[in-house]
Amino acid sequence: METNQLQAAEAKTIKHRVVELALNRPKTVYAVILLMVMVCTAMMPLLTIDTDPENMLSIDDPARVFHNQVKREFAMHDMVVVGAVSNTDQGIYNPKSLQALAKLSSQIQNLDGVISTDQMALNTVDNISQESSGTIRFQWLMKHAPTTQQQSDTVRNAVSRLPLLQNTLVSDDGRAAAIYVPVESKEYSYQLAEQIRMMIPKLYSSDEYHITGLPVAEDQFGVEMFVQMGIAAPMAGLAIFLLMWLFFRSIPLVIGPMIVAMATVLIVMGLLIGMGFTVHIMSSMIAIFLMPIAVVDSTHILSEFADRYKPGDDAKAVITKVVEHLFTPMLYTSITSAVGFFSLMLTPIPPVKIFGAFIGFGIFLAFLLTIFFIPAYISRMKPESLASMQAAIHRMEGEGRLNRWLPILGRLSIRGRKFVLLCFSGLLAVSIVGVTKIEINDNPVNWFKGDHEIRIADRVLNEHFAGTYDAWLVLKTSEQAGKEQFLQKAKPIIEHAKNKGIDLTPLLLTSGLLTDEQQTDFESWLQVLSTNIDDQLFDADDDEALWLEELLNFTDQVREQRRLFLKPDVLQWMTGLQNYLIESGLVGKVNALPDVVKTVNRELLSGNESDFKLPANANGVAQALLQYQSSHRPQDLWHFVTPDYRSSLMWLQLTSGDNQHMSQVIALVDSYIRQHPLPAGLEQNWAGKAYLNVIWQDAMVSGMLDSLLSSFAVVFLMMVVLFRSLKYGILAMLPLTFTITFIYGLIGWVGKDYDMPIAVLSALTLGLSVDFAIHFLERFREFHKQFGSVTEALQAMYEEPGRAITRNAIVIAAGFTPLLLAPLVPYITVGVFLASIMAASALTTLMLLPALLAFGQKEKAQKVRI
Amino acid sequence: MRILRTALFMIVAAATSLATAESTTDASDIVRRANLAYYYAGADGRAEARMKIVDAQGRTQLRQFTMLRRDQSQGGNQDMLVFFSRPSDVRGTVFRVVRQPGNEDDRWLYLPGLDLVKRISAGDKRTSFVGSDFFYEDVSGRDPNADRHTLLETTDKFYVLTSIPKDSESVEFASYQSWINRETLLPEKVEFTNSKGQLYRQMEVLKTDSIQGYPVVLQAKISNLARGTSTLMQMRGIRFDLGLPEGIFSERSLRTPPTQWLRKK
Repeated sequence: METNQLQAAEAKTIKHRVVELALNRPKTVYAVILLMVMVCTAMMPLLTIDTDPENMLSIDDPARVFHNQVKREFAMHDMVVVGAVSNTDQGIYNPKSLQALAKLSSQIQNLDGVISTDQMALNTVDNISQESSGTIRFQWLMKHAPTTQQQSDTVRNAVSRLPLLQNTLVSDDGRAAAIYVPVESKEYSYQLAEQIRMMIPKLYSSDEYHITGLPVAEDQFGVEMFVQMGIAAPMAGLAIFLLMWLFFRSIPLVIGPMIVAMATVLIVMGLLIGMGFTVHIMSSMIAIFLMPIAVVDSTHILSEFADRYKPGDDAKAVITKVVEHLFTPMLYTSITSAVGFFSLMLTPIPPVKIFGAFIGFGIFLAFLLTIFFIPAYISRMKPESLASMQAAIHRMEGEGRLNRWLPILGRLSIRGRKFVLLCFSGLLAVSIVGVTKIEINDNPVNWFKGDHEIRIADRVLNEHFAGTYDAWLVLKTSEQAGKEQFLQKAKPIIEHAKNKGIDLTPLLLTSGLLTDEQQTDFESWLQVLSTNIDDQLFDADDDEALWLEELLNFTDQVREQRRLFLKPDVLQWMTGLQNYLIESGLVGKVNALPDVVKTVNRELLSGNESDFKLPANANGVAQALLQYQSSHRPQDLWHFVTPDYRSSLMWLQLTSGDNQHMSQVIALVDSYIRQHPLPAGLEQNWAGKAYLNVIWQDAMVSGMLDSLLSSFAVVFLMMVVLFRSLKYGILAMLPLTFTITFIYGLIGWVGKDYDMPIAVLSALTLGLSVDFAIHFLERFREFHKQFGSVTEALQAMYEEPGRAITRNAIVIAAGFTPLLLAPLVPYITVGVFLASIMAASALTTLMLLPALLAFGQKEKAQKVRI
Repeated sequence: MRILRTALFMIVAAATSLATAESTTDASDIVRRANLAYYYAGADGRAEARMKIVDAQGRTQLRQFTMLRRDQSQGGNQDMLVFFSRPSDVRGTVFRVVRQPGNEDDRWLYLPGLDLVKRISAGDKRTSFVGSDFFYEDVSGRDPNADRHTLLETTDKFYVLTSIPKDSESVEFASYQSWINRETLLPEKVEFTNSKGQLYRQMEVLKTDSIQGYPVVLQAKISNLARGTSTLMQMRGIRFDLGLPEGIFSERSLRTPPTQWLRKK
């Protein structure tokens, strides 16, 4: 007891000192805030936008590391995809369309930032074909765009014979053709896309042109995000301002909270940028999340001030009382809200961590700014403006709707408590069912609205082609035999040679010539060894040459054995998987090494379809591929296999980037491997953007659950401590429990995919719902003490405290309506759900809590009466 | 056919003619002589080549082959055979070429793994030679008459020429500049520029020697600067004027290589 009193006294002195400082030295308070804002705002120009969904995974995440390793090993570049769609009867294979396409393709190749040698288009790729005399011909597929329909048909026939191009470069229906533009860096892709868009009208083509590809979408998203931050956030601020003015009818009074909100947002964003963090889709929403939270505390102060202040009162005395009175609930609501957001730091997703950390910090900052700035600000207002504000509020409250409706709501909730409890239980049950229906799914392209040109391009191109979304199934040899084993097996040769007086051992000590990395790499060691033997062989006499050749042959044999992806049975296994995936209908197309081998083999043999098959032995495969490399683009082979022929990439084209789609494909491959085990010595792994999406979304879901549960536990403990009562602790948790269940139940029922913005809303719900409950219960306990009766106390709750809660809810909910006009879906989502959250948590607080409190009371009272 | 790029001091041969070569200022003449020095040394020749192909990531591949060449006439048609020995899974693969400057070459291919002899249609000569940074044309020789040559300057050591293709459609470069050694007439450096005016490809000679009186290139490297790849070609076992019989340059040699001439010694 004593310590409690002591603590209370201490808290009082802190409150006192704060208010005193604010009231006596308002200019110092203003100056400090202004300085902080200026310093932080000055850092804003350093802003860098980050729109890469890859960054949802930390830089050292194994899946991301592997993805980038695969990108490097197989020289897979980020691609901008340009698609041309002809709506004429003859489709895209007509001279005009092909001329336009070729012209555009050549122009794109000349753009800076394009890896022109790797560009894929009809005019940049090779054709392998038969000539009438039975000769094989390697030539550009379409060096010159056709001038006649006959020439166009020749191109069509050629493409239909090249499985790597068919339905990738030209759609199966012959209506659409694509240009795949590899970019040096994703950062240029928006700029490149803009340059390409400028070129299109000058083609005077009647075909529709579309531009898509993940890098363009990402970059475009960044640009629009920037616009969004510059327009939507201030618009939301303006809406909040107008609503507050509607409630308080005093511009000077409303400016106070707005200054707090602005200062909070500017300082937090400035710090975020100044500390070198990039602005990701999540952090771009910090302003939008912080503004309502920053306004909430001030609204409580203003609401109570407006109720207590009578004309002629000493404003300073009233504000001191108000702040002292609200200090503890505000501190606790700030801590609990902050806990909700800090808990996001438990998720494994870096942008969400940063988002949580900076909002958590912003909440504390807003609390400090509120208790320092608002008293200072109000105390410096002219008595006339205070009086006119007072008059306006009283006028409004006399006839205000809140004044009329809140007591009615109160009576309904208290008298009809059984009905209310029944309704809420029913809703809770329905919501729980809804939660089980939630579909976890995100696709960065869906961050754009349905009618956005990126979405249209995405839809059109995926309708025609095998798919613009990539997943890579990588087959790798698990390293077995190493250097030691090799030396063991080479021993007989070396010893035989030794008996003949020839020392081969110096050759095997080639490690001195190797870098550290190569020394550990058996493949490099073997290569150096065979080169060295070959060199020595050149100057050797006949006796020595005999043994050197023996050793060289052995080395060659070992190396041949290691080239797994030249073996027909391995390639056959890959073909089986390819067919299985295509038959499932889930995969548009699988591009892989067997296609290359079979195509070359067919043309080498006869050109007939019956010869579209794998050679009978590994040497045949190697020789066919040697021919493939005698083209204009030998490098294309290395997209499918590494030069040591020990890993191979199967490129799956999917028509959607939904992670559910990808998850099904993964399951499909797993089931195939169960039925048809991987060839010996191989293991499989996934890479590609579609796969990374699956990984980070899994991480998001489990991470969010952890974060929600842990913050729930912390907030509950805090509530028990704050109210020094288990009962009140539980009561305080009820509104947020209900709201979160209700909101996620709604998402489940509506069928909205659970994506990232939806995921982080749980933190906001937790923070805001508990705010209302704290204020409600804290005030209720005061009234209860004051009136001695639960019913009376509850009725009093529907006066000023009820109004404060309702005002807050309305300000925040309606204040974010400008978000509904945003061009980017995540912002709209946040706007819609913020409104629902506010409505749900305010209603829960104002109906469920009174019903429960009254429910317990009645029974007690009855017992007493009996 | 680096063998071939080895130089003969041609018809006139001999050091005495060097004096005339040195004083030459006519660009086309220099190129004509360089072509002879590089691709027509001796009446015939053999060489063993090893190509080390290095990609942008530093990964290497090897190609090893032995070449036989016989000139039908100086500066005119040539018969060539290329026998692959490594990587071991392409061993036995043979190219047969009848080179006809100013005309389409005749080319055949033998693939032992498929047991197949196939005629290759003469197409573009600027395609990769078995996956290396060398083009087919770098190995067989580019027709001196395909480009217009201008002598830029004559330094102590080099003739510096710039060349522009007569038919820009058939090549990927806009121009190239070559440094031709005044003494040996071997081009020691060639730089290719694309239509954007960027230097994107270069050939450098790293090692030369004189064999049987002919200046020869022992090591040369072609780098694709745009892609970050390069190929080093090393030549060994070079011999000229072996008296290679005309008969071995036939289809029969594809399946049955003339081992006598492929042996080092």
